[in-house]
Amino acid sequence: MNYYLLGILILFLSGFISLIFKNEYRTKILSFFCVVSSIFCSIPAIKVLFEKNPITTEFYFNPLFGNVILNIDNLSAFFILLISLISLPSIIYSNGYLKPYIEKGKNISTQIVFLPLLLASMLLVVSVSNAFMFLVCWEIMSLSSFFLVVFETEKKEILKAGIKYLVFMHVSILFIIFAFVLCSLNANSYNFSDFASVLVQNKEMANIVFILAFIGFGLKAGFVPFHNWLPDAHPAAPSHVSAIMSGIMIKTGIYGILRILSLIKYPSLTISYFVLLIALVSVLYGLLYAISQRDLKKLLAYSSIENIGIIGLGIGVGMLGVAYSNNIVAVFGFMGSIFHILNHSIFKQLLFLSAGSVYIKTHTRDMELLGGLIKTMPKTSILFIVASVAICGLPPLNGFISEFLIYFGMLKGLEINNFFEMVVILFSVAGLSLVGTMAILCFSKATSIVFLGLPRSENSLKVESDNGKTIILPMLFLALASLVIGLYPQALLNILSGVMLVLTNLDTNILDFGFVSLLQNISLISFGFLTFLSVLIFIKLKLSKKVSVHNTWGCGYNKPNNHMQYSASSYINPFTSMLKPLFKNIFDIEKPKHLFPKSAHFNLQVNDIEEAYFINPLVKFDEWFLAKFETMQSGNIQSYIKYGLIFLILIIIGSLFIG
Amino acid sequence: MTIKILNLIILLFMPFLMLGIIKKTKAFWGGRRGASILQPVYDFIKLFKKDFVISETTSFLFKISPVISIGCAFFASLFVPLANMSAIINIPAGFVIFAYVFGFSKFFALLAAMDTGSSFEGMGASREACFTSIVEPAFFMLLASIMALSGNYTFDALKSIMHNSGIYGILICIFSVAVLFVMILTECSRVPVDDPETHLELTMIHEVMILDNCGSDLVLYTWANAIKMFLLTSLIATIIIPSSLNFVLQIVLYLILMFLVAVIIGTVESSMARIRLSHVFEFIFIMSALALVVLSLVVAGVFGGVN
Repeated sequence: MNYYLLGILILFLSGFISLIFKNEYRTKILSFFCVVSSIFCSIPAIKVLFEKNPITTEFYFNPLFGNVILNIDNLSAFFILLISLISLPSIIYSNGYLKPYIEKGKNISTQIVFLPLLLASMLLVVSVSNAFMFLVCWEIMSLSSFFLVVFETEKKEILKAGIKYLVFMHVSILFIIFAFVLCSLNANSYNFSDFASVLVQNKEMANIVFILAFIGFGLKAGFVPFHNWLPDAHPAAPSHVSAIMSGIMIKTGIYGILRILSLIKYPSLTISYFVLLIALVSVLYGLLYAISQRDLKKLLAYSSIENIGIIGLGIGVGMLGVAYSNNIVAVFGFMGSIFHILNHSIFKQLLFLSAGSVYIKTHTRDMELLGGLIKTMPKTSILFIVASVAICGLPPLNGFISEFLIYFGMLKGLEINNFFEMVVILFSVAGLSLVGTMAILCFSKATSIVFLGLPRSENSLKVESDNGKTIILPMLFLALASLVIGLYPQALLNILSGVMLVLTNLDTNILDFGFVSLLQNISLISFGFLTFLSVLIFIKLKLSKKVSVHNTWGCGYNKPNNHMQYSASSYINPFTSMLKPLFKNIFDIEKPKHLFPKSAHFNLQVNDIEEAYFINPLVKFDEWFLAKFETMQSGNIQSYIKYGLIFLILIIIGSLFIG
Repeated sequence: MTIKILNLIILLFMPFLMLGIIKKTKAFWGGRRGASILQPVYDFIKLFKKDFVISETTSFLFKISPVISIGCAFFASLFVPLANMSAIINIPAGFVIFAYVFGFSKFFALLAAMDTGSSFEGMGASREACFTSIVEPAFFMLLASIMALSGNYTFDALKSIMHNSGIYGILICIFSVAVLFVMILTECSRVPVDDPETHLELTMIHEVMILDNCGSDLVLYTWANAIKMFLLTSLIATIIIPSSLNFVLQIVLYLILMFLVAVIIGTVESSMARIRLSHVFEFIFIMSALALVVLSLVVAGVFGGVN
């Protein structure tokens, strides 16, 4: 435990220490500190995961809120590993990513201070087990990530996205406070362990607390319909920050949900179906909008929503398993979602980092301006393709493992002899497979428009070489991690099975019914698949035949140019036109007129239907409602003192009646 | 062992023969004598000897994608029950691996198509990706429903439909075969969804994706597609052929069924025109609708209904 605290302390201080040095060295010093602290933090976490024995420390804090208890159990340890180890590639990457900004003379001190602060607060969030301190750390986490997002404050849309993020995070904390207050009123304590005893007894309250907490944490994690901040904040942030936010920070929302679940232990059917439904909506909705984006990072942000949905599907299936007391279903569902938390944090970081690598060279995120980068940036392209294969859940990479486990859990769920459950599960299977194919559509679009074909504009034409080592190596590390987990998932089984024991009340030998052998089979199959394909590709590349090069077939036309290629929006047009009612498209067309047309343009903007029909009316209503109170804002100091007095009196009267 | 070798031979040659039979059938309905049913094999050999002409826009993806396609097709065949035997790798939820392996090959085929920077191939790729996304959920729904009947999650569940579902068995079989047949027409680019014979790029789907491929690359794509057709037909055979028959009879029935499916495809191609592209969706949604029917029949079969 001391190592852990030392690690967090180093993180807290490292930002300020790095500030002492010159601008050029700051990122290097910071990465050094982060590596050191991640070693310190992961030692106790690994120890807990192997010994399956939680570590606890208690600090005296304040009689009102109770003592602060730091508790590292298996669930916390898993997330600690995720935060401290898996985030390292992004931090090392930031060295290369921030370099052009430093050379331009931009002050990067906000990045230097808030990046370690974000990591430290995330570490505290997943280990503290006192509701009050949890909220404090949660707030530090939200604020520090806000400052990281608004790095390029001079751009108006970035500031706007940042403020939107800030507002959403405060709505989120509001719901979490509701949930915790409800618990603590009944438990007369702020400790999670005391919450548990109340929640296990009182089923009705457990449902309400879970749903409140789910909304609160879901706002962070990005479940639909609470997702609206994600597609704005992720593109606005610098790439390594979006990688950490999407790969790791939104997982703290999942942590919160799992933590509440571990307190409830026996979720009721209502909340199980609730989670499954929300997750199913999230996967489809997230991917639908991911497909229709032309901003590369926005596409990745929407795809995060989809992947959070897949994690949610796993959790939902697991909860159904517990609710119907079918252990096998529970194990497969939860294991699938835990695997997917890890897998998503790996390949989503890789995708964001490659998007950043493209951004450094081309200075644009608009896919319609990119193209042909596979020739000039081969390393980045291959890494992006690897990540795309992984995120589509295709064998032999890691995404396949988690999706397969969730499929298997669903299929096992068909054994539960219940009419409603069977229909829901069958539709979920179809939904998940729809997601699989839509992901192929989405990422084949992203890869081919950004990296393949001919350059679509000056931005991609003028690229000369790929990025340097500090950019490529962290990405390579992530790609390898993705491959290793895909080929040898059973190595993690011992670690991950401990996490599940926290979530359910199953005994330790739950994995004896062929789970291990199933994973071994999958691993063998993936390995065979990879070897078989590599041999074939090797033969093909060795088999030299006479090759003559000619330009692309243009139906007899011999001078094809880059404007004749398929664009991103035309690639997805068959799909989006099929589902037209689900998009709020804004067309801006100027058709060519007269005999000698001078100008014409076409612009298509795809707006989020939830934003258009839910968020915007809500904001409008808010503005209308608050405008009624404008008269109160007189600018007159005496009247403000009057309001304060009235408020105080109301509080005194209220406390007299309630107390 | 003999069965395995026999199956390997069937796997290697039957896809070509099916293509040949389809062409022969079309020739028959057209009043022509047509080429020999071995013509696809001759084409294969001829094309395999040829040199390449590739586009200057392409990268290494364009070169490796045909090999990935054929590799995935063969790898996927390990998971499908063939004549008189279970799948070679008969693990639970094998159909997920089957579908995802084909997904892998499709992903690279789409990339290779977009790699040429051709608007025609982009057109093909976008249509192919879109249509697959409708086909796959129906396929999964169908198989998951059938597996819910028996609690067996391997492809062997297809063998025991009649055994497990009583009065609904025949209906489930009929609708499942219908779903798989529509899937063959869609996924293997046959009329009425796509016309492999056409030479108008604007209306093509799968064929236009491989417009810039030639020689052995082209033939590998065609072969992979034929294997896919063969494997899906094998699934139909697994549903229809009773597993209680002796093995000679089973293999004979299996081959006859392959022949029949090819003839039916040929007949469909001769008797109807390609659907207008904007209406192809409606045709593919038939598959989803039929899969939903199977789902409701299965649910009715499990939870009572008419007895």
